[in-house]
Amino acid sequence: MTHKSELAALEIENLTKCYGTFEAVKKVSFNIFPGEVFALLGPNGAGKTSIISIISTLEKLTSGSVKIFGVDIEKETMQSKRLIGVVHQEIVNSGFFDVTEILDFMSGYYGIYKNSERINYILHKLGLYEHRQKKVKQLSGGMKRRLMVAKALVHSPKLLLLDEPTAGVDIQLREDLWNFVRELQSEGMSVLLTTHYLQEAQELCQRIGILDKGQLKLVGQTKEIIKQFSLRKILIKTKTEESHYEANAFFEKKDQGYYSYFLPDNNYLGKLLQELSLKAEDILDIQTQEGSLEMAFKKAIEMKS
Amino acid sequence: MIAFYTLLRKEVKRFLKVMMQTIVTPFMSSFLYLLVFGVSLGSKVDNLHQVPYLAFLIPGLMMMSLMNNAFQNSSSSIAVSKFSGDLEDLRVAPLTPHHLLLSMGLGAVVRGAVVAIITYIVGIIFYYLQFQEILTVKHPLILIYFILAGGFLFGLLGVCAGFWARSIEHIAAFSNFILLPLLYLGGVFVSIESLPEWAQKFSQLNPVLYLINGLRFGVLSVSDVSLENSLLVSLLGILIMYLLGLLAIKKASFNRW
Ligand SMILES: Nc1ncnc2c1ncn2[C@@H]1O[C@H](COP(=O)(O)OP(=O)(O)OP(=O)(O)O)[C@@H](O)[C@H]1O
Ligand SMILES: [Mg+2]
Repeated sequence: MTHKSELAALEIENLTKCYGTFEAVKKVSFNIFPGEVFALLGPNGAGKTSIISIISTLEKLTSGSVKIFGVDIEKETMQSKRLIGVVHQEIVNSGFFDVTEILDFMSGYYGIYKNSERINYILHKLGLYEHRQKKVKQLSGGMKRRLMVAKALVHSPKLLLLDEPTAGVDIQLREDLWNFVRELQSEGMSVLLTTHYLQEAQELCQRIGILDKGQLKLVGQTKEIIKQFSLRKILIKTKTEESHYEANAFFEKKDQGYYSYFLPDNNYLGKLLQELSLKAEDILDIQTQEGSLEMAFKKAIEMKS
Repeated sequence: MIAFYTLLRKEVKRFLKVMMQTIVTPFMSSFLYLLVFGVSLGSKVDNLHQVPYLAFLIPGLMMMSLMNNAFQNSSSSIAVSKFSGDLEDLRVAPLTPHHLLLSMGLGAVVRGAVVAIITYIVGIIFYYLQFQEILTVKHPLILIYFILAGGFLFGLLGVCAGFWARSIEHIAAFSNFILLPLLYLGGVFVSIESLPEWAQKFSQLNPVLYLINGLRFGVLSVSDVSLENSLLVSLLGILIMYLLGLLAIKKASFNRW
């Protein structure tokens, strides 16, 4: 699936960010295609927030370029700002106003005067409607997080940036939030998110990028990356039990009559059967399990660049 | 336009929500100043510029509370937003530095004007009690101009201070060590003509002097300095503060404390 002809929702090229002499982001390049949910993954301090802050113009880039639907964030800042909505990682705590007022002001900043229809829609979607008259102080941590998501959506942005939107949110709400993201995607919104819940990223995102110490280690389709970088698990049930089945280097464990093995890539199965001197008639059943993103993630981080 | 109006509305709503601090407190301090200095002490002081001391003091206090409150409004709005983190919203939204300066400056004017008018009302009540006479405004347009200009100028100053400050103490220090002396030495309480010659020369370098006397001229038609100079200084001041404000928004941080 290539989208070369289309204008990328986000186009980052050779992006570098220095804080003083410290290089937090090093020549990072990647694209997000329109209508895609893309996860930027990486350990703490990898530079994810730095990248998001640059796109949202909270931080200045040191070198490189960022374009949103072809609009350069440095040259046409006002125009690019209208295209994005952002949920920052740190919780915001403003004291004076209630939920509706805050969303009303936020709409006004984007030049939308009467926006109560959209605001109510978002409040319902995020389960905040009953809390609309509360001050921020009176909201729980998870509600504050959802208020921040609501703020990012009042102007129906084309690209949504979510920096760990599910940190401190319970399982049920996390699921609701991801379902909401899927809904936004079906309406055509493109999404860049970061999260430390890899399983959720695996289910939600078409493509991912793995960042470590400011360097983009990997970028591509989630499925491809898992296929390429995680070990595939093979479970074999045999007619007879032999001790040498367990002596193999790839052997993991024996469970309920199945011997399991981790294989480094797809072309290894034949070789394994050979090593075990298993013939077709010795085998009762074979199952394969695809690896997880978590495994691929760990491997990508260990990879020398 | 909507963005500008929204931000202005937010600034005004904010100070109305903390009315105790933003309106009642300044009212109390004006009341006390007028009572202690104007009424009690004033009866023992000679007329200044051929007007009773109480009359001389009223416009001075109006301008002082106007400037103080205008400065407080924009600087504390920014400081509080930095503290809670929602100043970041202003950076992320498509607001230009002009939006920020104009709406925060005008928000400051609104609060300053409210406080100045309250001071004036308290003042004329005291004046009536003492002299059985209403203290009317001699040049209303000039008064209005200096309320707008003084409020806007100090609102802009507050914006600069708010953006540049790295903690709430920075703002307090700026207001205590720079603003307060300028205000007190700017001819609120005394005419500079009663100062020794060297101190007069010094006072003439204080821009606040021209603003206070401009407003005093609007109310009483008397002033330590010429009206032209007051107008010139106010316009020049606004220009300089506006440029500094642009610089502050460009360079300074929107990040949370
Ligand atoms: N304002 C700053 N000044 C100096 N260094 C900074 C600043 N912000 C971030 N850094 C450094 O830049 C690096 C990347 O930080 P960043 O917040 O982008 O990481 P992250 O990937 O978002 O991490 P996390 O998963 O913990 O949120 C870190 O080493 C951090 O210490
Ligand atoms: Mg982060």
